[in-house]
Amino acid sequence: MAKYGMVIDLHKCTGCGACGLGCKTENNTDDRADGQTYNWADYHHSATGTFPNVNYQTLPVLCNHCTDAPCVSACPVTPKAMHKNAKGMTIHNEERCIGCRACQSACPYSSMDIERDNAQYSVISFNDFGKVIHAAYQDNTEIIKGCTTSGAEIAKKGGATPPHATKYDHPDYNSVRGDGVVEKCILCDHRIENGMQPYCTDVCPSTARIAGDLDNPNSDAAKLLKQYGGRRLKNNKGEFLAANEKGVGPNVYYIRNYSMRK
Amino acid sequence: MRLTRRSFIQASAATGGALLAGCAAGKPATNAMDKAAATAKPKGEDAGKWIANTCQGCTTWCPIEIFVQNGRAVKVRGNQLSKANSGYVCPRGHLILQQIYDPDRIKTPMKRTNPQKGRNIDPKFVPISWDEAMDTVADQIIELRKNNESHKFLLMRGRYSDQNGILYGNIPKMIGSPNNISHSSICAEVEKMGAYYTEGYFGYRDYDLDNMKYLIVWACDPISSNRQVPNAIRKLNKILENGTVAAIDPRMSNTAAKAHEWMPITPATDGAVAIAMAHHILVNGLWSKEFCGDFNDGRNRFIKGQTVSENDFNEKNTNGLVKWWNIALKDADPSWAAKEAGVEQAQIERIATGFAKAAPNCGVWYGPNMQPRGTYAVMAMHALNGLVGATDSVGGVITGMGAPSSGYPKIDAHQDEISKKGSKNTKIDQRGYLNMPALKGGKSGGGVVANNVANAILANDPYDIKVAIGYFNNFNFSGTEGQRWDKAMAKVPFFAHIVPMFSEMTYFADIVLPSTLHHSEQWSSVRSKANLHGHVSIQQPVIDRMFDVHAPETEIVWMLAEKLALKGFPNILNWLKDFKDPETGKAPTNAAEFGLYAVKIRTHKAWDPALNKDYKGDRPSGWKEFVEKGIVNSPKYEFGKKWKDGFSKTVTKKFEFYSETLKKALEGHAEKHKTTVDNVLTVTNYEARGELAFVPHYETPKRHGSRSAYPFDLIDMKSRHNREGRSANTTWSYTFKSCDPGDVNEQDVIQINPADARRLGINEGDMVKVTSVLSSLKVRARLWEGVRPGCAAKCFGQGHHAMGRVAAKDFANAVPRGANFNEIMPDDYDRLSGSTARNGGFTGVRIEKA
Repeated sequence: MAKYGMVIDLHKCTGCGACGLGCKTENNTDDRADGQTYNWADYHHSATGTFPNVNYQTLPVLCNHCTDAPCVSACPVTPKAMHKNAKGMTIHNEERCIGCRACQSACPYSSMDIERDNAQYSVISFNDFGKVIHAAYQDNTEIIKGCTTSGAEIAKKGGATPPHATKYDHPDYNSVRGDGVVEKCILCDHRIENGMQPYCTDVCPSTARIAGDLDNPNSDAAKLLKQYGGRRLKNNKGEFLAANEKGVGPNVYYIRNYSMRK
Repeated sequence: MRLTRRSFIQASAATGGALLAGCAAGKPATNAMDKAAATAKPKGEDAGKWIANTCQGCTTWCPIEIFVQNGRAVKVRGNQLSKANSGYVCPRGHLILQQIYDPDRIKTPMKRTNPQKGRNIDPKFVPISWDEAMDTVADQIIELRKNNESHKFLLMRGRYSDQNGILYGNIPKMIGSPNNISHSSICAEVEKMGAYYTEGYFGYRDYDLDNMKYLIVWACDPISSNRQVPNAIRKLNKILENGTVAAIDPRMSNTAAKAHEWMPITPATDGAVAIAMAHHILVNGLWSKEFCGDFNDGRNRFIKGQTVSENDFNEKNTNGLVKWWNIALKDADPSWAAKEAGVEQAQIERIATGFAKAAPNCGVWYGPNMQPRGTYAVMAMHALNGLVGATDSVGGVITGMGAPSSGYPKIDAHQDEISKKGSKNTKIDQRGYLNMPALKGGKSGGGVVANNVANAILANDPYDIKVAIGYFNNFNFSGTEGQRWDKAMAKVPFFAHIVPMFSEMTYFADIVLPSTLHHSEQWSSVRSKANLHGHVSIQQPVIDRMFDVHAPETEIVWMLAEKLALKGFPNILNWLKDFKDPETGKAPTNAAEFGLYAVKIRTHKAWDPALNKDYKGDRPSGWKEFVEKGIVNSPKYEFGKKWKDGFSKTVTKKFEFYSETLKKALEGHAEKHKTTVDNVLTVTNYEARGELAFVPHYETPKRHGSRSAYPFDLIDMKSRHNREGRSANTTWSYTFKSCDPGDVNEQDVIQINPADARRLGINEGDMVKVTSVLSSLKVRARLWEGVRPGCAAKCFGQGHHAMGRVAAKDFANAVPRGANFNEIMPDDYDRLSGSTARNGGFTGVRIEKA
């Protein structure tokens, strides 16, 4: 079976934010609210040492599409809403999701509430029951009455909510999610299935992200792993698994170092 | 208990067809429960088209493409044909979408109904028609001309396209005013002095990153700003891998975070380190003999403290290396500079040696350096590029390539007496005054002093301003000590603002004209360069305009010209009618046609096969292909021409370590004011006297506030997600704010070293009061090891009380979100360039727990 994942070359990464922003434009994720980020691609930043010997690191993060995905095990519905597909990707089926958040709770890379948990990011976010999706574009208020537009008006004139929504179709998930469901990175399966790269990979100006089948030795991702060796995250605190640790089998690997300074 | 989705589905399934009716809109077309559908190949992305355009979110001016689905702009990428960015945008490009669909865009012309003007005074704007708006503006201009005070018209330019030659370049002149004021010197003009007063190039440099082996990034952060961001992001890793990168900056920039060396110098001591590196390179015999020449007998006489005879040195492509040594370098060794800059001597020596040994495949990439004495610091930095022969070399620093452009019809035949006479008046910004040399192009008063216009207006010196138009500018927010702008704009009797968003400056407008966005709603073009190539790149409508908005530099000019013609001043309209479509020869009959023809004319040389047939860069087959591809790339830069042909713009035609070019400019300025160069330097706050004024040298930091009362040096940093001050109302620019090292998502913070914070009893997240000689602001404290102790770094961009509901904390009551530190930075200048001071720790601040 294929095992799709990603290799992120920290030597190439400049921490610019293009992957995170590009993902927002592709997957039409909402603005942060109530401890949920809705940032499917996000960052963990850390600095160690004291001035002037400071070592800074940006870790671009996303769903690890784990082999032993706890989010899948935890999903209580049948068939599972959170499931592995034939390419080994962890896919979320919005239709079957009951919004129980068992996946969010089980995922070592997620927090139920990043503010409460003081976490930098969460792979899984939750759209609460009754949440107004893209509320900013459903708001009718005008800051200068009759002179400036409103979120609702510009969404209407633009022709969608949000007006910049990239529309795509996938049997499991929608291009804009509804309320009462979780959501997370699906490795842009709607693109991979059509011969394209995940959008975060496509937009990375330094080509630091390489998605592919890690089990296929001929894939660019597998070749890079072979060349440099990789390390995988243990949790959403920026800690890595030890070389002999398997964890939950995350399939996002980090190669080389962010900084040239030791 | 609420009905869960699963129980809902189960319940619905029991009632068959009721399922679909009950589902929320936007569900997948196929029911996921259906086995066959679940295994079907996903259809993927809806059909759409990538349309060429240009991003002006920073000064890179990137060729881009916008993906349009069903008339909506949904994604952004680099133009796949661009050699400047290799098809990639930096993070800023993606924010374009939230700008287009900003919920607070101005959708109609407005007029003020509250005559009282002030920062927090509601103008009580009401919507009006374009007809009424343009009528009002035209009346104001006619009145000025009637009263023989046409020079009291002021045009202020913010972000602009290559069509700026119409509104900015000629409309004030046609009206009869000298006052076309560009924003340029508010953010970056000092750095151009570096290359100008050494090698005669007043512009931004380009770099051969593919072949570079040693890069010194000095007081800037190329992977986040400074004019070729995607290219720098793409190529930095190669230099990191195959060479060495050193970053010199008191705060840990993005480049510093990745670099081999981070040298966190004390603010504004750059000049000391630069000349110490030059000293080190010379005493160790590491200068470029090929470029600079050598001692007649090959014996190195550059020995610390010893004067060298000019006769002993046979100089080649440079002027005054020995003079420079004798005047400024002989005693300036790394041990002295290390003390001055608060860094290690060994690090200065290591970087200087590594840099020189990699030569000529090396470069100093320096940034704005908007310090009160910045001119001499950037001259010293650029002199290093000359000293090792990196300038104009493979793997080095180059001036870069241009791109084709054609001229507009001339105004001469359409100028009346008022125009000719009025436009000869002194410009409002006091450029060329004794205390404001502004020596762009080697000429006294050659450059703009944008931030000083507020002072001039308030002092009626040289005269008062009665009618002002501004476009895409927000000086009240972006200018240091913006309070002056609040007062000045309240004083100007009539102000029309052409903007897409209600900014701080718009508070003072009498008429507001809603603008299109350059990257998606109008015809224009842009020229820029990066990666050894120049380019001309198109801007075109990719979506239908959602509101009745118009392009500032073309369409609105036409609308104004029509009104002026009706009121007995047809000259401008007659000039605009000369803008004939190069394809059909047809004269424009309306604003839209004029807008299009102006772009076709400006880019004519790039796309017309009759004109581009001998061009060595891209040669589209006509206008249609140019628009489709969106770009014409120039051929690649040719290295070494300046080594061969000389530096045509310097006085000596050489690369000048002893700047005869600056000497001539300073003497010209002094002569104009019947005084001495030394006196000029005294009144402009420089320390140099005598010959020192003509060579790159160290000037100590000029600072507002004593060290005892204001112990911290304020560092004004920039965000990699700031779209030239106009992205503050986008939520996406806040959600990843921590991509600016040390900053915090969704917040505005001041970065303080933990050691300093401990001493002051300040904890992470505390609100602190930051006070300068001007005033105080409150902001959240961030404890950060990446900032030099004794310094405090605050990012520009937040602190808006206008712009919109995201940018302001409370728009209706003008309560800012975060803090705009321009309010506590005093109005000061690097007077030799006329640039606004904002760097080099020139603002001392006191920090206390709020």
